[in-house]
Amino acid sequence: MSTDKKPLSATARAVGERIGSLRDFIEFLEENGQCITWTNEIMPEPDVRNIAVAAGRDSMNGPAVIFNNIAGYPGKKLVLGVHGSFTNLALLLGHPKGTTIKELFYDIISRWGDDKPLLDFIEPEAAPVNENRLTDNFNLYDLLPLYRINEYDGGFYIGKANVVSRDPRDPDNFGKQNVGIYRIQVQAPGEFTLLSIPAHDMGRHIMAAEQEGVPLKISVMLGNHPAMCMFAATPVGYEESEFAYASQMMGSPLRLTKSGNGMDILADSEMIIEAELMNGVRTFEGPFGEFPGSYSGVRKIPRFKVTAISHRNDPIFENIYIGRGWTEHDTLIGLNTSAPIYAQLIKDFPEVVAVNALYQHGLTGVISVKNRFAGFAKSVAMRALGTPHGTMYLKNLIMVDDDVDPFDLNEVMWALSTRTRADDTIVIPNMPLIPIDPGAEVAGKGHRLIIDATSFMPPDKLGSDSKIVTPPAGPEIDEIAKVIQLLQNGVNS
Amino acid sequence: MSTCPRCQAAEEKIRVEHKGLNAQGELVWTIFHCNACEFTWRDSEPAISIDYDTREAFFRVDPEKPYPVIMPPAQYK
Repeated sequence: MSTDKKPLSATARAVGERIGSLRDFIEFLEENGQCITWTNEIMPEPDVRNIAVAAGRDSMNGPAVIFNNIAGYPGKKLVLGVHGSFTNLALLLGHPKGTTIKELFYDIISRWGDDKPLLDFIEPEAAPVNENRLTDNFNLYDLLPLYRINEYDGGFYIGKANVVSRDPRDPDNFGKQNVGIYRIQVQAPGEFTLLSIPAHDMGRHIMAAEQEGVPLKISVMLGNHPAMCMFAATPVGYEESEFAYASQMMGSPLRLTKSGNGMDILADSEMIIEAELMNGVRTFEGPFGEFPGSYSGVRKIPRFKVTAISHRNDPIFENIYIGRGWTEHDTLIGLNTSAPIYAQLIKDFPEVVAVNALYQHGLTGVISVKNRFAGFAKSVAMRALGTPHGTMYLKNLIMVDDDVDPFDLNEVMWALSTRTRADDTIVIPNMPLIPIDPGAEVAGKGHRLIIDATSFMPPDKLGSDSKIVTPPAGPEIDEIAKVIQLLQNGVNS
Repeated sequence: MSTCPRCQAAEEKIRVEHKGLNAQGELVWTIFHCNACEFTWRDSEPAISIDYDTREAFFRVDPEKPYPVIMPPAQYK
């Protein structure tokens, strides 16, 4: 899947060439005042979560935070909030601070696709991630500064790992190789549980391995290129490669190599944990504070055994704070959740202008569309519910006109206030829904709500006698707004 | 730490998982794991996470009770 491409700006190309790893990006964020280091000694709990939540309050401009003085973990480094603000994402894409969410959305759309992957393969011996290699006596508690993310989590979680697996029935197929973010609970020094469900690519791989009685090998990548994390959390097609998407977004090659157990992995990641599914074993896992802002309950889930670990010298453990929003999770996946829904919709409906699915992984979405005829927005809404992500996530959909910025909630509320009739809402009962939505009727099933907040068109007579004020708008006003912001911040423009 | 803070399993079901030392090699905290309910905790954590009576009762686990199984392996047989 791809969209119309625009050439990258010189700055975006330069940033893409410069950033080849998490380390490169942290350095870049530091130079731009978007990464701080917490040097005072802290306890793993509750200090890490307290600082992470405080740093994450500003979803536009909050910094990443490096911890290098955690009691009991001398010499270990932890980083949180690398994707914690839209400004951090803007920098990654070669934009200045102050770039709007809508501008980022259109930029990501213009880079969207997997038709021109930029992948360099290097020998494992040359890969920085292989600077150190362990083949026995694994102790994840010693290698990583692990801690409890939320106070009632069932254990210590790795929340931002990018997990590579291959379809065990088609192990040579690069496209069917999946990279996804799945929550990992450390269950023993060399064992962990990994939560996936049948709807996930990884879930398919687990079921296939157990059905066929064949081993399922995975490589857990920690501390990755920042674009990789964004695409590991993106719902791309089953036969599409997240590596391809990530490299195409950056416009610069990603360096891949082979893990010891045969997966394609990023050569510049901080750590690779190679593991194998313990076929047929299910272990207590959870609770875990999840992205809807509530705990998902205790379940018995698949368990994996570590078979080898590679890591760079002085590896940085990258993790995430996740819980009641706004959190890094929302910034990390918001635009990459919105983009594929948009790309799928415009194939049939070019009238779609933008899709905002930032809220709780798209449990609420706002779609801006130019009505082709009366009631058209409702048809588009139905199509959105039928997209792969919409099928399980788009619970509340607000449809707005093309003159409303779906990322500007003041504008969305204006549309709701002035263009919605109570009978222009639709409830579709008993639809599939992600099991962890606390608002579900039963876990896995719930109702969908469509609110048509678009204006009326013939043959509808309503509203025909009202005319909208047209305040100055467009690029010229956007520029003036930026100048005002600079003047306010004391910068001469 | 005599019993599990989550399921009150007896001491013999609890294993020492890892000891955190400072740069001088002195013990800072210890991580424990319950073999009955698979709860993991550190003895330096706030009471709300590791004290049975302080924890919300909602989060207690009874390992003898049935819990949902994700992709139950039995379905393949």
